[in-house]
Amino acid sequence: MTNDDRAAERRSPLLIQLGGLYGIWLREVKRAIRDRGQLVGGISRPILWVLILGIGLNPYFRGEVYGEVTFVVPFTYLQFIFPAVVVLNILYTSVQSAVSVIWDREFGFLREVLVSPMSRGMVLLGKVLGGATVAVVHGCLVLLLARFADVPLTWSDIIKALGLMAMLAFALTSLGVVIANRIRSFEGFGVFSNAVILPLYFTSSSIFPLDPALTRAQARITYPEWLVTLVEINPLTYAVDALRGVLIDYNQFDPRIGIAVMVVAGLVLFSIALIDFRRA
Amino acid sequence: MPSTPNSGPAVSIDNLSKRYGRTLALDGISFDVRDREFFALLGPNGAGKTTLLHILCTILRPDSGTALVGGFDVVRQSLAARRRLGIVFQEPSLDDRLTVRENLELHGLVFGVPRALRRQRIEKMLELVELTDLSDKPARTLSSGMKRRLEIARALIHDSEIILFDEPTAGLDAQSRERIWSYVRTLRSERKITVLVTTHYIDEVEGCDRVCVVDQGKLLALDTPDALKRDHCRQVLRVVPKSDDHRQEILNRYADHLEGEEGESILLSSSDSLVEAVLAEYGTRLRSLSIDTPSLEAVFLSLTGRELRDQAAGPRERTLAFGRRGGEHTR
Repeated sequence: MTNDDRAAERRSPLLIQLGGLYGIWLREVKRAIRDRGQLVGGISRPILWVLILGIGLNPYFRGEVYGEVTFVVPFTYLQFIFPAVVVLNILYTSVQSAVSVIWDREFGFLREVLVSPMSRGMVLLGKVLGGATVAVVHGCLVLLLARFADVPLTWSDIIKALGLMAMLAFALTSLGVVIANRIRSFEGFGVFSNAVILPLYFTSSSIFPLDPALTRAQARITYPEWLVTLVEINPLTYAVDALRGVLIDYNQFDPRIGIAVMVVAGLVLFSIALIDFRRA
Repeated sequence: MPSTPNSGPAVSIDNLSKRYGRTLALDGISFDVRDREFFALLGPNGAGKTTLLHILCTILRPDSGTALVGGFDVVRQSLAARRRLGIVFQEPSLDDRLTVRENLELHGLVFGVPRALRRQRIEKMLELVELTDLSDKPARTLSSGMKRRLEIARALIHDSEIILFDEPTAGLDAQSRERIWSYVRTLRSERKITVLVTTHYIDEVEGCDRVCVVDQGKLLALDTPDALKRDHCRQVLRVVPKSDDHRQEILNRYADHLEGEEGESILLSSSDSLVEAVLAEYGTRLRSLSIDTPSLEAVFLSLTGRELRDQAAGPRERTLAFGRRGGEHTR
């Protein structure tokens, strides 16, 4: 027995950390699969947005409105919001996974891993990667609707999109953890949905474009200045834009901005989450 | 990381202090837990037991003082210390959505137990705590006693040498409580482990090697249960005389030992010699005689001057209540 007992001691510390990382990641994924509510949300949300909102608003987006032809964007509304719905699904799922940090804390599970030989950074990384994985899967559920939204996808588009989605999911899950770490008492996910997810989403040029044909000055005349400013300072705008570039070849900004924003946001938010986590 | 052989105490606490705001949770506490000892920390709620345990398992940092687990400092060598610890927390810390076996698997992965050994230990531990038949059920379907048993099994999946139990039997019925102690006894006979348990069920610490009584962050007494009773309690002799004459006689004779009267009976603070004397002198004139042996309960009362304290509900309790009501995406 003594020989066996020492077996763990002989394993390299890195191997132990990686094994633990896998364990925590696997737990997140398993939990998500078993959460019916989350799964129902992940499927119904894109269907509502793409099929109902998208199809419903389609005629008002392009073509004749009150007798006047307004070509804003050379795409149908359905095509235009399709990438944004991918983002929305990732947004919801990421934040939702991250919020489970609160439950891990309250129901003691976090304590169980914090007293293990895992470093705090690895615990957090496992948690964030797990949440991000689930979020990317939920994003892919939207991609399944591409055919209905009239968005043709090639394999290379899909791979590029997956890369962007993974970066986005990582950053958003980190954001969720940062917020969850600061919450002492929690009365429901609705608070998150209303205070974080929807404001971020609606001001990310997800459901309306800032007209590329207009100059900046003109855009401010069409839309009130505060709204344009909000959209421009919202980092999510650039993520949506980058994904839109890949999925429907339409960019309002340089797609590299989107990638840069996501990488920086991911690193910064993860670092903040880690600092909080070390302190907790 | 340096590895030290198992010499010296399993747990060594020296002048440990911890303050939360204005309350001093631990006030310069020092003691050692010997290797392979069954050690109990006894104290009312809020005495600082859990704080002490949390410092030992490296969740909390002490403000001052040192704590060594298996010879490793919990602040500076926390990873090495953690690897030697098996912990059963006061509140359940299982993942309710994973099955019994998955909970154990996860623990094994996180503690870096190699696969073959992990499998083997999981089977063995499931058998020990009699959960083999339920191994594929989600943890949320278990009763609270079963959950506690699963947590005990979990604490022993890795090479734990020192098991910390924080109130392992709180909130369980008498049968489940007895069962848990029987597992602990089996474990102690099978594996080289030191057990440190906190509790406020006094009857449960009778079987311990040593008991440490703490209150308000201070160590009040530390000794074997028998020695504590001897030092901190007097035994009481209770006699019921056959007639009032005898009664008066006894009262006069033992006036300086008199503790009080309860109905017919006379209570005398006693020692073994007094019992013999009373029996020799009045043995035939007594209707009944009994000795109230001191209990740890009485030791506890005389040391702390109180029984249990209540805790107020904070924001944390409210969140928990929300989760229990079935708050979204919780379980």
